[in-house]
Amino acid sequence: MITDERPIFMQIAERVENDIIDGALPEEGQVPSTNEFAAFYRINPATALKGVNLLVDDGILYKKRGIGMFVSSGARERLVSKRRDRFVHEYLHPLLAEAAKLGISPTQLGELLRDEASATASAATPTSASRKEQLS
Amino acid sequence: MTDTSAVVSVTALSKRFGSVTAVDSVDFEVRENTIYGLLGRNGAGKTTLMQLLTGQDFASSGSINVFGASPVENPDVLSQICFIKESQKYPDEFRAKHVFKSAPWFFTNWDAAFAEELIEEFNVPLNRPIKKLSRGQLSAVGVIVGLASRAPLTFFDEPYLGLDAVARQIFYDRLLADYSEHPRTVILSTHLIDEVSNLLEHVLVIDQGRIIIDEEADALRGSATTVAGTRAAVERFTAGRTLLHSESIGGLASVTIQGQLSAFERADAADSGLELLPVSLQQLIVRSTNTSTHDFQASA
Amino acid sequence: MTRIWNVVRLHLVNRMAYVTLPWIILGSAFLITIAIWMILRSVGVTSGFDGSASSPQFSGALLSILIYLLVAAVMAINLTFPFALGFSVTRREFYLGTALTFGLVSAANAVVLTVLASIEQATNGWGLNGRLFTVPWGGGGTPIEHWFGFFALQLLFSFAGAAIATIYMRWRINGMVVFWVVGGAALVGLFALIAYTNSWAAIGSWMTANGTTGMAAWSLLVSALAGLAGYAMLRRATPKN
Repeated sequence: MITDERPIFMQIAERVENDIIDGALPEEGQVPSTNEFAAFYRINPATALKGVNLLVDDGILYKKRGIGMFVSSGARERLVSKRRDRFVHEYLHPLLAEAAKLGISPTQLGELLRDEASATASAATPTSASRKEQLS
Repeated sequence: MTDTSAVVSVTALSKRFGSVTAVDSVDFEVRENTIYGLLGRNGAGKTTLMQLLTGQDFASSGSINVFGASPVENPDVLSQICFIKESQKYPDEFRAKHVFKSAPWFFTNWDAAFAEELIEEFNVPLNRPIKKLSRGQLSAVGVIVGLASRAPLTFFDEPYLGLDAVARQIFYDRLLADYSEHPRTVILSTHLIDEVSNLLEHVLVIDQGRIIIDEEADALRGSATTVAGTRAAVERFTAGRTLLHSESIGGLASVTIQGQLSAFERADAADSGLELLPVSLQQLIVRSTNTSTHDFQASA
Repeated sequence: MTRIWNVVRLHLVNRMAYVTLPWIILGSAFLITIAIWMILRSVGVTSGFDGSASSPQFSGALLSILIYLLVAAVMAINLTFPFALGFSVTRREFYLGTALTFGLVSAANAVVLTVLASIEQATNGWGLNGRLFTVPWGGGGTPIEHWFGFFALQLLFSFAGAAIATIYMRWRINGMVVFWVVGGAALVGLFALIAYTNSWAAIGSWMTANGTTGMAAWSLLVSALAGLAGYAMLRRATPKN
């Protein structure tokens, strides 16, 4: 669960962000305590606290004295836009650079993306159907 | 996190045994309510250092300050310390029940209910003579005393010899849970670095009597990367960097470098067909103490 | 003071060491002695060491509990000391607590031994004209003399054991070698000195003049010296693995 690549507190912050983005942690909902994070991920509570505090500093979470930590309203939207910016920076820029190197024009790239997306979608459909069968 | 919250502060501490220098002019501080890892090879000076900090041994030179005073023959300081050793001796004919009966007399924070839970979890036979306990059961007795004593400063020196993976996990889990509820300073000395690395907040690495790393555990995470690929590409990529370790087979090379890589550098590595591998705390320490992983584990 | 008292409790937490085992050992020695006396009587041997019909049988069984206390003191330094340090006790607290334990155990054991000595006197040596508990007084002595003698003897063996074990704790095997070589040489030298100065008779009369109680009092001085030496050595001792 926890890897050696990056500081643990960053990984914890990222996990909480992911949970907020996919709705597992709703806005104004309570976030697990640092001790719960520590016990669950088997990490030092001080490290968990550091991760959570990172999000408090960003205004994603806020503290209610004596009760605990909650997700700020508007947190999800802010995270999504932050992640979009990052997506452009981390995925689109290298993609365009590589495409330019290979002589793929932005238009061709757009076509490729559309084709690829529909191919994965049709490939995914039978899988989800068979999963339903297994479940019933 | 300032000097005022240091529970231990050591200056120019040395310990010599005849011509051997076990602890060599060491300086460091230990913060309050923090879990420290004291890591290093066998014979690096870990146990000697802990013996000095607990007043069990006498320094050759330098000063030790624990809770504001020297620990040597100091009841006020020692009453706040619990030192669990791998090789702890027990009085003749002692049974585990005698240990748990007498421990509360000396450790004022002793939690009897917690001790009983742990005795059950670790399955320690209370009525069997200590001499007849298995290595793992013996370690469990120490671990239980260390946890249930809740001493403000607790030392665990290789506390789990003979404990199986399940029992060790119980130890880690109970330590974390109890530490969360009753914060205290814990100094954990161990060879099993990978197992405990996530529990540690701060790391002290001792090698040949000297502290070579004194750093937040999280700062060490990602502070080194192993680069693997063709020798030419690896050499180009790692040129001008601090190398911790390198090895090569034929035209392939694998080099561990210090410092974090930017996204740009990562992309560059990917372009050059290089593989970037994270370096675990254990690998980092093995690299830093100039020993191969094999040697390191063999010394455990 | 509480911490010193806790060391006493630590020594006594396992009743086996200081309560059960010494009395099992002395009890067996006593029973074996009685059995031997009865066997001797049944085969018609009624005379004692000097061959006269009225002389009593003497037994050295009392030594068993003294030797046991010496061994227990060695164990207390060898094993309980490192254990107590692990329980965050200071050397000073450990030594004072240990000395107090020696005193308490010796005093309590002496009470029981005194009762047994009185029974021995009242029953004419367990009905067998035997002398086991009253040996140091040649069968005589008052209860107060008995108690004091038993107390002093036990202290002597305890502190001697503790001091010897502390030499080992402090200097390991080298310390032991030096101790026994120097100690042995000193003893031989002392015997030689006595022999060459023809002083055996003088020493004998000095001991007779002091009597058992006087000698017991002198032994307290030896115990005190052993105790002080032990304390001085333990203050700088480090348990090694």
